[in-house]
This record gives sequence, structure tokens and C-alpha cells, in this order.
Amino acid sequence: MKDSRRLVLDRLKEHAIAGDTSYPAYSHPHTGIGDPRRSFQSVIESVGGECLLVADLEAARKAVAGSEVFFAAKNICSYVNEIAEGNFDAEAEESPDQCAGVDLTILRGELGVAENGAVWVNADPLRHRALLFLSGNLILVIEGQDIVPDMESAYARIDFSGLRSGYFISGPSKTADIEQCLVIGAHGAKSLLVLVVG
Amino acid sequence: MKSHARLAAAFLKQEERAHWHDQALWYVREKRDRMAASVPDWEDLRETAQAIKRHALANLPRYLEEFERSAAARGAIVHYALDAGEHNRIVLEILKGRKARLIAKSKSMLSEECGLNEFLERNGVEIVETDLAERIIQLAGERPSHIVLPSIHIRKEEVGDIFHEHLGTERGESDPTRLTRAARAHLREKFLAAEAGISGVNFAVAETGAIVVCTNEGNADLGNSLPDLYIAVMGVEKVIPKTRDLSVFLRLLSRSATGQPISAYTSHLLGPRPGQEMHIVIVDNGRSEILRQERFHKAAFCIRCGACLNTCPVYRRGGGHSYNYVIPGPIGTILAMHRDLKKFKDMAYASTLCGSCTAVCPVKIDIHRQIVLWRNEVVRAGYLGKAKSVALKTATLGMKSTRLFRMGGWTMRKLVRILPPFVFNNRLTIWGKSRDLPKMPARSFRAEFRAYSRSKTDVSESGMNREG
Repeated sequence: MKDSRRLVLDRLKEHAIAGDTSYPAYSHPHTGIGDPRRSFQSVIESVGGECLLVADLEAARKAVAGSEVFFAAKNICSYVNEIAEGNFDAEAEESPDQCAGVDLTILRGELGVAENGAVWVNADPLRHRALLFLSGNLILVIEGQDIVPDMESAYARIDFSGLRSGYFISGPSKTADIEQCLVIGAHGAKSLLVLVVG
Repeated sequence: MKSHARLAAAFLKQEERAHWHDQALWYVREKRDRMAASVPDWEDLRETAQAIKRHALANLPRYLEEFERSAAARGAIVHYALDAGEHNRIVLEILKGRKARLIAKSKSMLSEECGLNEFLERNGVEIVETDLAERIIQLAGERPSHIVLPSIHIRKEEVGDIFHEHLGTERGESDPTRLTRAARAHLREKFLAAEAGISGVNFAVAETGAIVVCTNEGNADLGNSLPDLYIAVMGVEKVIPKTRDLSVFLRLLSRSATGQPISAYTSHLLGPRPGQEMHIVIVDNGRSEILRQERFHKAAFCIRCGACLNTCPVYRRGGGHSYNYVIPGPIGTILAMHRDLKKFKDMAYASTLCGSCTAVCPVKIDIHRQIVLWRNEVVRAGYLGKAKSVALKTATLGMKSTRLFRMGGWTMRKLVRILPPFVFNNRLTIWGKSRDLPKMPARSFRAEFRAYSRSKTDVSESGMNREG
């Protein structure tokens, strides 16, 4: 049997890309962000999410307790007990399928990106990363000091060495596939609340 | 096979739909413009993106090997496929090995290119598209008409009919939210029952072995995190050297594609989740051939954002199904030519050559220039139709000779005024189908210019100051 791997790699050696093919030296910081917290908040709100800037954990706790999603949720899975306690332990479940009935998941994000409202979530501490997408609603908690201006500075801070899966999550899941009408809540979370603490 | 012109004409007959299609895509283009303007270094980012692509593709064997090593170290199993057939066989074998019969698939233009779904279905595998638009298309038995908005040609009432038939929604339901909710419930069941997930790849990072997948719906994520088997399929050109390079491409991708600052989910997967088996199939299928052609190699830089479709006046008006190749629009045109010049030759003429595609391309592919060059190739290969051939040869003759050109101009100025319009605009002159000849001027440009030069001299001599 011919070795397709070898053949593909050999074929790719003969290319006709002319000119300077060196790796470019670049840096494109996003200037003009202004107050990173405010920019972050306004972008999240522009993509269908909600974002609250709160002073401390106590304020965060109150915000969650007073939120509509928390009030309406039956099965709550919390990884941030200092803010809200859950009643469903995803860690105790054998299979990810068993998380399908979770209405609300609360967990920490590692950083936020001001230019596009994305929150970096390291899913490795979760037994079932599917929870992030099965959960009906999502509350992400990040520290105010962990908001970086742009994607370049975000990647500079993320450690990929031992990582298995990580996600930039920006807003709830959505689709505009039917006549370009925006519908929030396609397959993943139907709402996203981001709490920026401090 | 019908030509682009005929298919586009058929699409345009449904005036209201064609107008909506045009407007909807132009709206996306405008969103893209606003997003691009909000990033201070936009043009530099495009330059950098192209430079990274140029570097990565010139060193692909090295980066593919690095990616393969890194991904394998994380526990992924890497395969190489020379062409579409081998790609399909590899995927089928993996599925058979795990006895997987129900597959949750998310959008992948590569799998469309390879005809994966048809192949798997022929082999007894049920494959469920999970992107809403792709699912609509699949249930309707159609093919995508856009690479990012696959069902842009279908109206909500039609989606209602399709869902009524297949998902049992109420007859006449056309509310996008209710239809989307019905699809969510239907596909949630499929996700939970699926024995394998298949998705495309937006970027593959050599340094870490990460594959990056961008979606708004979260379907790729359910598909890669629920089943115990996950297969990612990617073209060789998806590899980029470093993690940092993602910052450049992700900043460009969603803004160019849909005018979003970033997609709702940007997933970085480094090996399988615990208890899962993960395969990555790396496919050539003609990409090495593209890279070997100096004038056309940039076509392989494409990151499949679809911005050139949204901006293209011909695509917006004619619809995606007027192009016979699986990828429509300007980028589809320059990719189709590599696939089969004879079969897709008419696509080279489905362009006004306005250059808007090139202006919006996030990796600065010289799309419209390539389209012109492909027209050369079509002529050289002898595929140009007879009528066009004769017309162009006649025009060339006239353009080359001053005398013939003057005579031609003189004749037209006289005849068009005397003879009735149908002489010039009849069933035989395709050009006149939706155009009229302009009103003929009394004098030739040459004569106008002579008179103008004379008057200007007179004016300046008399000391008056007039705008020329």
C-alpha cells in the first residue's frame, strides 16, 4: 500500500510560492479600547449577552440571587460556591449525557477580551466539558483585572502546555440561519451572564 | 449541466426573492465594514495574515509534521488522505471500527468538497447535519448556496414546510424563533444518541497540535464532547505555525464573515477528552496542485469566511446555486478552475471584475485578477464559445487598426440613429438582453477632443479662468 502521508508531504515540497516567505515579525495591539471593563461589557451586550460589573463577591452573589435565570432554574450546577450554590453535581455523573437536564451552570472564566467580549474558559477542571454546551443557561465569573484589551494579549496569557480543551465564549449560542433573523439559543446556552468582579 | 448565466436568470425570475437575497447579503457586507473600521490596524492585520499564510504554506511539510507530532503527543490519531476518495474511505473505516452508525456532523466545506455525506449514506451510516442551515439543506435534499450561510436562498415559509414534513412542526409555522426551537429539540436528541461526531477545522496549530473550530450555535462542541468518537477533517492548508497567529486570524475571520467581533464559541481542542477516541484526517485533494502554480497559488490562502460572496454583485443577484461548483462566488470560481477547467469554465465569466472581492478578502487573495487570468486559460484551452470567440476576435481586429476603429465608429453613429432598435437588439444579440445601446453622439470622441483643445487654447488666450 502506498504511503499517503509521504506522498502528501512530498507533493507539498514543490510549491511555487515566490517572494519573501519568512515568518513575519508582527504585533497589532488594539489601541483605542478605552476602559477595558466598559468595552468588554458593551461588546457582550451587543452580541446578545448580559454583563454586570460588580464591586466584590458579595455584590456578585446578590446579582446572581436576584437574576431571572437563577430564579427560573431547577437544576443548577455551580463551580463557584462562594457566589451561588448549586443542586446538581456534574462531577458525580458518569456520562456527559446525564448533564442534559442542567438549566444553569455557573463557573469561572480565566480572562476576558475587551475587543470582542470573549471569555476564556479552561474546561479541563470539568469532568464533562459538554456541560458548557448542554446547560440551558450560563453564568461566567471573571476578575476585573483579568480583562485584557485584545486577542494578542489574551493568547500571550493562556498556557497551552498541559491544556486539553479551552474555549473563547462570547455571548449565548445563536443562529441567523432562517432568513437572517437573529435567534438566541441555538444548540448551546440560551442566555449568558458575565459577572466582572472588581 | 446548465450554465451560470441560465441558472442565474432562473433565480432572478423570482424577483422578490432575488431582491431579498441581494439586500440580505449586502447588509452582512455593511456589518463587515463597520467591524473592519472599528479595528485600528485592520489593513496591517490583513497584510500579516497573508504573510503568515505565505510562510506557512511555503513550509507546509515541516509544519504538518510538527502538528502531527504535537497532536499525536496529546493522544489524537492523525491520518493523511491524497484525495476525496481516500478521505471518505478513512472516515468510513474509523466509523466501522467503532460500529458507529449515527453521526452528529457540524459544518465542513471540506466534507462537501469530498461528497462525504453521500458516501457514508451509501454505506449505511446515518449522518445528521447539526448546523441549523445545514440541517435545513439536508432535509430539503439540496446543497449549500453559501459557505457560511448555507440556506440563505431559502425563505422562512419554506423552512416551515420542510420542518412540518420532517420534524412535525405545525403546518404554516414560519416564525424563526419557534422553528429554531423545534430544530434545537430535534437535534438535541440526535446529539445525545450519536455514536460519533464529525466536524471541520478552522485552524490547526503546529506548535501545540490544537485544532480550532468556530461556531455560533455550539453544535460542533456538542458533537465533539458528547460521543466517544470524534473525527476532525481538515485541508492541508489549515495549519498555522504558532498559537499567537490565532490572534491575527480570529480577529479577521468573524468580522469578515458575518460582521461579528468573534464567533460565540471558539473551541481549542488538544487531543481527545478523557474516554474518547479522536482522529484528525488531513486532506490534500488538489491543494498541492494549487500551490504549484505561481499565478494561482494564493487561492490556497483562503480561510473560508465568505466575505467575497457577500460583496460580489454577481453572487448576490444570481444566488449560490447558479454556480455549479460546491463553493460558489468569487473564491469558488478560482477554486473550481483548478478542479475542472472545462466543466466550470462559465464560472470565469460570472464576474464583473469589479475587484470588490479582492478588496474585502482578509488574507488579500488577488481574486479578481485570478479570474481574469483564468479567462486566459479558458481561451487558451479552446473552451470559449463560438459566438464569444468571433465577437472578441472581431473586436480585437477593430481595436488594433486605427482606420477600422474610426470606420466602425462612424458607421455605428450613423446607423443606430437611422435603423430601428430591433436591428441591434434582437434574440440573436445576447448582450442586449437587459441592456440598450446608448444614444449615439453626433461626433466621435476624437472630434470632441479636438474641438475641446481648440476652445481651451482660445479661452486661456482670452485670459478667462475656467475649469477644464
